[in-house]
Amino acid sequence: MKPLVEMRNITKKFSGVTALENINFDILSGEVHILLGENGAGKSTLMKILSGIYEPTEGSIILSGREYSKLTPADSAENKISIIYQELSLIDELSIAENLFVGKLPTKKVMGIPVVDFAHIHEKTAELLKRVGLNRSPSTLVGELPISEKQQVEIAKALASDAKVIIMDEPTSSLTTEEVNKLFAIIRQLKKEGVGIVYISHKMKELAEIGDRVTVLKDGKHVGTKPLKDVTTDQLVSMMVGRELNAKNLNPHRAETNEVIFEVQHLTRKDRAVQDVSFKLYRGEILGFAGLIGSGRTELMNAIFGAAELESGDMTLFGEKVIIKSPHDAVKKGLAFITENRRETGFFHNFEIWKNISISSLVRKSKWGGIWGFVNKQAEQQQAEEQKKVLRIKCSSILQNITELSGGNQQKVIIGKWLAAQARLMIFDEPTRGIDVGAKSEIYAIMRKLANEGKGILMVSSELPELLAVCDRIIVFKDGRLRATFTNEEATEEKIMLAATSDM
Amino acid sequence: MVNRFRESWQKFGIFGIFILIVAALGILSPEYFLTTNNLTQVVLQSAITILIACGEFFTILIAGIDLSVGSVIALTGVITGKLLVSGTPVVLAILIGGILVGGLLGAVNGILVNKTGLHPFIITLGTMSIYRGITLIISDAKPIFGFPQSFKEGVAGWIFHIPIPVIIALTVALILHFITTKTILGRNIYALGGNAQSAWFSGIDIKKHQLIVFIISGICAGIAGVVMTARLGAAEPLAGVGFETFAIASAIIGGTSFFGGKGTIIGVVMGGLIIGVINNGLNILNVSTYYQQIVMGSLIIAAVTLDKLFSAKK
Ligand SMILES: Nc1ncnc2c1ncn2[C@@H]1O[C@H](COP(=O)(O)OP(=O)(O)OP(=O)(O)O)[C@@H](O)[C@H]1O
Ligand SMILES: [Mg+2]
Repeated sequence: MKPLVEMRNITKKFSGVTALENINFDILSGEVHILLGENGAGKSTLMKILSGIYEPTEGSIILSGREYSKLTPADSAENKISIIYQELSLIDELSIAENLFVGKLPTKKVMGIPVVDFAHIHEKTAELLKRVGLNRSPSTLVGELPISEKQQVEIAKALASDAKVIIMDEPTSSLTTEEVNKLFAIIRQLKKEGVGIVYISHKMKELAEIGDRVTVLKDGKHVGTKPLKDVTTDQLVSMMVGRELNAKNLNPHRAETNEVIFEVQHLTRKDRAVQDVSFKLYRGEILGFAGLIGSGRTELMNAIFGAAELESGDMTLFGEKVIIKSPHDAVKKGLAFITENRRETGFFHNFEIWKNISISSLVRKSKWGGIWGFVNKQAEQQQAEEQKKVLRIKCSSILQNITELSGGNQQKVIIGKWLAAQARLMIFDEPTRGIDVGAKSEIYAIMRKLANEGKGILMVSSELPELLAVCDRIIVFKDGRLRATFTNEEATEEKIMLAATSDM
Repeated sequence: MVNRFRESWQKFGIFGIFILIVAALGILSPEYFLTTNNLTQVVLQSAITILIACGEFFTILIAGIDLSVGSVIALTGVITGKLLVSGTPVVLAILIGGILVGGLLGAVNGILVNKTGLHPFIITLGTMSIYRGITLIISDAKPIFGFPQSFKEGVAGWIFHIPIPVIIALTVALILHFITTKTILGRNIYALGGNAQSAWFSGIDIKKHQLIVFIISGICAGIAGVVMTARLGAAEPLAGVGFETFAIASAIIGGTSFFGGKGTIIGVVMGGLIIGVINNGLNILNVSTYYQQIVMGSLIIAAVTLDKLFSAKK
């Protein structure tokens, strides 16, 4: 069978740095081709060459019998290639429907004048939203959606143009099991229709379930392409990282001390997104928060960090009652918040890596409400070098602009910012989103180390296996309320899911 | 390739353009343009532009704008003038009329932006008109003059053959350069301009920084108002009309991104000088002031287009 897309001997250099070297890659009709590799391996770059964003330095692409030395976005669209970018590319100011049909709004003639046929696009949008399982009106502004729902809109957008090839660059990084299952059902349907799919993900469990073939990249080089049924996950991991990964024993356990380092009492948000929540965090423990999307976990963390108005509630940090009215107060009091949507709430596109890392440390040491104090380039750069080492940020220099990093490495920079701030209470909201398997276990180890040093750690995650592997206790949320608490020994995926979904 | 060009453009482009323009004018009119006298004149004329442009720079850095600087020049000039003729000591008149009033007018802009959440364009478009109106009312639309000699000599005089306005402008630029490059305040303002949401979640008090930015712009315009009053020997209620164009043009030509988060004070100073040189050159070449306006407008559009081209993805 002739492939839908064939990429031959692709090499891509960014101002001297080789991101891809001599890569061959093809996509067959009706298959899911998995593209696997560590953060910065070159996956997104290869796909951006296919969607016409980047020009290859060398090599060619063959589409429907024609050989191209490079593609423009128009070439790519003409050949019915559509892509879900890792960094979501929706326009916040437009409605869901307008986002789905941006650039190709269907028109109808009214007295001979073409006008946008809104009735038609709303109908089609409603259909697509139902297909991806998003329960929203087509006229909702995208800016109002949480990141997980934006990701669903992005999937719907790829479906809106009847593509022959769909590239999915980490489509499920913000989704929970339920939405992932919906996506997989869609993918199976697309396969039957003969669509070729490229699937990029760091969630190893998903791969076996959905993939047909897998191509592994490492440092921009082609390691191998195999049918998925011929390789085990462990083999894939060692192809990816080039060494054996022995799972570190994180040793979750119920805290032995009874020293409470952080306590929340009867916290209610003004907008009622969180109601009457109370919990305690003991010294040395990592406290996890489970729940469905929209269950109020991120909303609770926002409230703790001063990013949302409170109706009532008290917080005690290391025995001292704290009043936090803004993120500034929070940082000053020694809180850190690795937010869920790091590109929108953590990232400075105009800063180099080192400035992205130092920003919150500077706020911490500043005086007079955050305005008095001096920057210290050397110290800041040294701090950035440290984080680069600890988190294994892949970059040629910390003087690079953050936008030049791969998605996962950008995430690491933002985590590095908060590690550098040396906070006393750290909130990790989906800390391993977009992070490769090797780095994931390193981040868990860092969290454990921080907890052992006596820092408070709160962790929100939509991946139950991750919560079960890392947390000493797990709190389950539903509808903005605390529903259940399990110790690590008691907790199972089933029990958590039950608490998260049932109406008790 | 584009990347390299962009980098070197951002670093050296502005100096290149400056030298190119100076060389061109030197060749076109060696007998007038390249005289010490004329060059001093150019720098002197640029001083006021540079002063307001340095303040304007901060407001553009946070992806905002300050359209009221021209009116602040007039209002601070008139108040300083009133204080002087009423016998207030010179130093006190400058401090109150120029710096304090300028800062207050800026603070009003900042508070309005913070409280209403409207774009600074709207707010300062409004205050531009309001401040001008107040100026006309308190001056009765008449120029104020009759200042002590010490005021004129102290502010618009010369030290060692260097015009004092130039020294004032460079001192202000130096202080602001220090703030942007060496202080946490400066870094925070860049962060705010790059991504306000991220800045807020990183612990930066956005409203406070916005307020400070507008106060800086107001103080700069206030100082410019005092300098202008001293140079003219009179406080003109219609002084500074249209000056916001020069301020914005200097900042933009100097490489400040209209989208926020990027730019330097050195660039802004160079931008101010370029505008001064071009105006002076066109004068020397006997080009009518009408055409000068066309040149200025074209320059702004060209500079922003370049910025947009280079900040687009490669
Ligand atoms: N615009 C750019 N300028 C310079 N270097 C870049 C640019 N884009 C990507 N790179 C480099 O190319 C390499 C590959 O990046 P790419 O984004 O393809 O990685 P990835 O495999 O998608 O990783 P991740 O899993 O983190 O998304 C990285 O080392 C990155 O730093
Ligand atoms: Mg990527």
